[in-house]
Amino acid sequence: MKGTYDIRIENARVQFKLTLTRSLTVIRGNSATGKSTLVGMVAEYAQDGQASGITLSSARPCVVLAGRSWKRDLEETKGSFVFLDEGNTFTRTEEFAKAVRNSDNYYVLVTRESLPMLPYSVEEVYELRNSTSRYPGIRKYYTHARRMYTQIPHITNPQTVIVEDSNSGYEFFRALCEHSEIECTSAHGKGNVLAKLRACASERILIIADGAEFGPQMEAVLELAQRKGAGLFLPESFEWLILCSGLVRDSEIPKILENPSAYVESREYFSWERFFTSLLVERTQGTYLHYDKARLNPAYLASRERSLVEAQVQQTGIQASPMTDL
Amino acid sequence: MLGVQFGEMPEAIYNTAVYFKNTYLDSWFDDEFVRRMIKSVDKSIVLGDALIQSPVLGKIAPTQLSGGVKTLILIYYKPELVFNASTCGNNCAWWILRMASKRDITINLRHLMVFGNGKFSIRVLNSGNVVHDMLGFIEEYDVAMNGAER
Repeated sequence: MKGTYDIRIENARVQFKLTLTRSLTVIRGNSATGKSTLVGMVAEYAQDGQASGITLSSARPCVVLAGRSWKRDLEETKGSFVFLDEGNTFTRTEEFAKAVRNSDNYYVLVTRESLPMLPYSVEEVYELRNSTSRYPGIRKYYTHARRMYTQIPHITNPQTVIVEDSNSGYEFFRALCEHSEIECTSAHGKGNVLAKLRACASERILIIADGAEFGPQMEAVLELAQRKGAGLFLPESFEWLILCSGLVRDSEIPKILENPSAYVESREYFSWERFFTSLLVERTQGTYLHYDKARLNPAYLASRERSLVEAQVQQTGIQASPMTDL
Repeated sequence: MLGVQFGEMPEAIYNTAVYFKNTYLDSWFDDEFVRRMIKSVDKSIVLGDALIQSPVLGKIAPTQLSGGVKTLILIYYKPELVFNASTCGNNCAWWILRMASKRDITINLRHLMVFGNGKFSIRVLNSGNVVHDMLGFIEEYDVAMNGAER
């Protein structure tokens, strides 16, 4: 499945609105915001349709996955929006992650567990926000999903940069940092960023991670970053930065970047990070910019090429002097 | 004191909503402390006879309370059991500490619950360490959940 979809579900007392943009959406936040009510209404509509008294507006079927038969049920579910409430032990298993990876559905997970097997985006973690009826005399609650991480701390001119990546992205940022005399270290994976941040004694720390897959780590890293005064820079991915820079001349790339959801087939790409990597590899194949995720092609560090990508990270304050080959 | 076990805990009751539905007693809702938790977290008022006035859902049964407050009530009435408190949002954290100040309770967490900016005492059962602020708690979380080094 690909595309962006709006869902509206309501009964006499409450209306929920949410937009699904990627294959994985996570809803968490405070207790008593209506998360379980939402999933309950989806289940009731799936069971009884309009006879439930619930109105559902959705371009695709909405179903709820629960219980011991989840695997069999999921095998029979295609092209649907699958909702899961908290309390399902299977959501944190590798078996579930594998089943999700190979299916043609979008998933809405109501859970506070980090679920590191599922590479969801920091952009797709939501909390439910309520407002009361806009009409006098009608007591109804309107609830919409709002992005959870809208206040990401930024810093400029860091003393230390922690890069989640250990491959091409790290090599690029390390080269920039060396030139700016900034300490740059790799966390060697998303799961190690929190430990790196804990251990870092610098006063001005910047964390660079792929936002497209950093959802499971975000809550704890953000909590500590706020307490240590550290900043976060979370582009979709390093490959996305290159594609955004205009370095790769391709008339289709700007259209894709404008609306990735219309191009990312969920069955093929578990996250947008993997899609952007594949796109960059494909569009640079056979050119001097041929991209290898494992090792940075030195062409990206030449002055012109580097400065184009560097412009995408200007807000971080890590940049080499202009027109210098690194 | 509050005890926290991070991650897998086979003896913990994971699906607290199901456990609540099958074990709660109407008399629980006559208790003033329970009523205060319901008012604080769910913004709902106990009318009596286990009937609750919710600002969103109208008059509801206890089974329609939020997952967070149901877990708080279970912790309150069954301190000898361990419940999955990852069904509780951060707006439940203060109440968990409050209950733990009166008697020993243990909860199971599968996420980083934020206990605020103040001082507290939590024994993390994975390591046996007692922590007194969020920095210490985050370290224990990282070691227990991510296998990180200290």
